[in-house]
This record gives sequence, structure tokens and C-alpha cells, in this order.
Amino acid sequence: MFDGFMRHSAMLLIMGLALGIAACAGKDDVSAIDVEQQAFDDLRFAIREVIDDPLREMEALSLTNELIESLHHLRERVTERRRRVVALNENYDTSREEFEAFFDEIEVDIQANRVDAIESERALLAALTPEERKSLEKVQTKAMKAAISTIQSI
Amino acid sequence: MLIALFTILLLGGSSSFVFDYIADTRDNIKIVVPKGERQKAALGTLKTMKKSERAYRKHLRKAGKELYKALDLPDDVESELHGVWTNHFAEVQRRNHEMLDLRFELREQLTREEWGAIFSSDSAEQESLPPQS
Repeated sequence: MFDGFMRHSAMLLIMGLALGIAACAGKDDVSAIDVEQQAFDDLRFAIREVIDDPLREMEALSLTNELIESLHHLRERVTERRRRVVALNENYDTSREEFEAFFDEIEVDIQANRVDAIESERALLAALTPEERKSLEKVQTKAMKAAISTIQSI
Repeated sequence: MLIALFTILLLGGSSSFVFDYIADTRDNIKIVVPKGERQKAALGTLKTMKKSERAYRKHLRKAGKELYKALDLPDDVESELHGVWTNHFAEVQRRNHEMLDLRFELREQLTREEWGAIFSSDSAEQESLPPQS
């Protein structure tokens, strides 16, 4: 009877551990992408709440979507940069000139990105009144805070 | 959140600083390079790389704060934004070149085989190498 109890307890413990691990894994799987998505949804919701004028609201939403898209592209480009530098570095014979050429490519990319980012930032701010701008900056949901931390690590 | 996102976009990704991962190969150097003067020299180079990386991260936080402030200014203060960004980008270039020099310094301290064992992306040999003494 004692053996049966021990076996039963051990099984419960294993099941508990397995469920715990599964729950943790599931949580981690959804966190990064889902929190980011939630943050962007919160931002869109805040824009709809804050801007009364339907035309400006539509413009602000469209520019925000462009900004989100730009961040996705930045992440892809950074991943590619990482891949390239690993490939260049692993070759013992890669010359300094090859690295310099790679740096030049990054420079062109960053410069182009800068022009686009400033233009769209100015366009978005122009679509908002100073009061709307202030109100939007005040909106900080949990998802927004968490998403900024992950996006910062791009 | 909008200004924060634009700031991140303008910084061009924190990994504009591309060699930081090399500085994290300390454990592999200890495994692959026999103990002695060469290992000591290689670890010293990695230490300098790590120091440069930390300085860059510190700069990045400062540049992020400055850009955030500048982005919040009206259009007619565009020069402020341009100034902050130009300084940031000059620092990215300076640090990348500094790390490139260190990368070549490290290359001189290691043999071709050691380099392959430490940095080759498909090197299963890295896992199987016994610790050197």
C-alpha cells in the first residue's frame, strides 16, 4: 500500500513538473511576439481614442503602421548584418578591406534609414496637435513598456 | 511610445556595433588555446574588446536619451536632432574600427586552426576539444 502511495505521489509529481514546464514553455513562446503585437494594438487604440478628427486619425494610424513596418525591416536587416559579420569573421583570411566594405554598406543603410525615420516622425507629429501628442506620450500600457525593452535590443 | 520607437529606429539597431559577439568567446579561448603567454595575450585582447563594448553600450543609452529629447522638439530645431545623430554615428564608426583593430590583433595571437575551432559556425570540433593545460 505504501509502495502504491509512493508510486502515485511520484506520478503526480512528474505530471506536475511536466505541466509546469509546459506552462513555462508556452508562456515564453508567446511572450516576445505577442507582447509586441499587444503594444502596437494598444498604441493604435490610443490614437483612435485621442484623435477626434477622422481624417487625421486615419493618417496617424497609417503612419504608425509604416513605423511598425520599418521596425520589422530594421530587425531583418540587423539579423542579416549579424549573419554577414559572423561569416566574414570566421574566415581567418578575410582582409581588412573586406570588413571596411561591409562597414560602408552598413553606413549607407543607416544613413538611408535615418532620412526615412526623421521624415516619417515629422509627418506623424504634424498629423497631431500638441495636446494630442502629449496625451499619446502619456499612454503607457504594460505591453508597451515590455515591448520597448525587447525592441531596444534589436 | 511613438517617440521611443522612432528613437530605436534612428539608432539603427543596437547591433550597429557588429563585433560584440567576439568579446564573448573567452571560454572558448580557454578551451582551445594552450595555457601560457598566447592564451594570456588573447584573453587580454578580449578584455579590451569587452571594455570597448561596455563603453559603447553606455554611449548608446546616452545617445538614446538625447535623441528622444531632440525628436520631441519642433521641426525648427532640426539641427539639434542632426547634431545628436551625427555624434552617435561617428561613435558607432569609431568603435567598429577599434573593434576591427582588436579583431586583427586577436587573429595574430591565434593559429589558423585555433581560429577555426573558436569561430567556425559549423565547428563541431569546438565542442569536442579537450581543455588545454
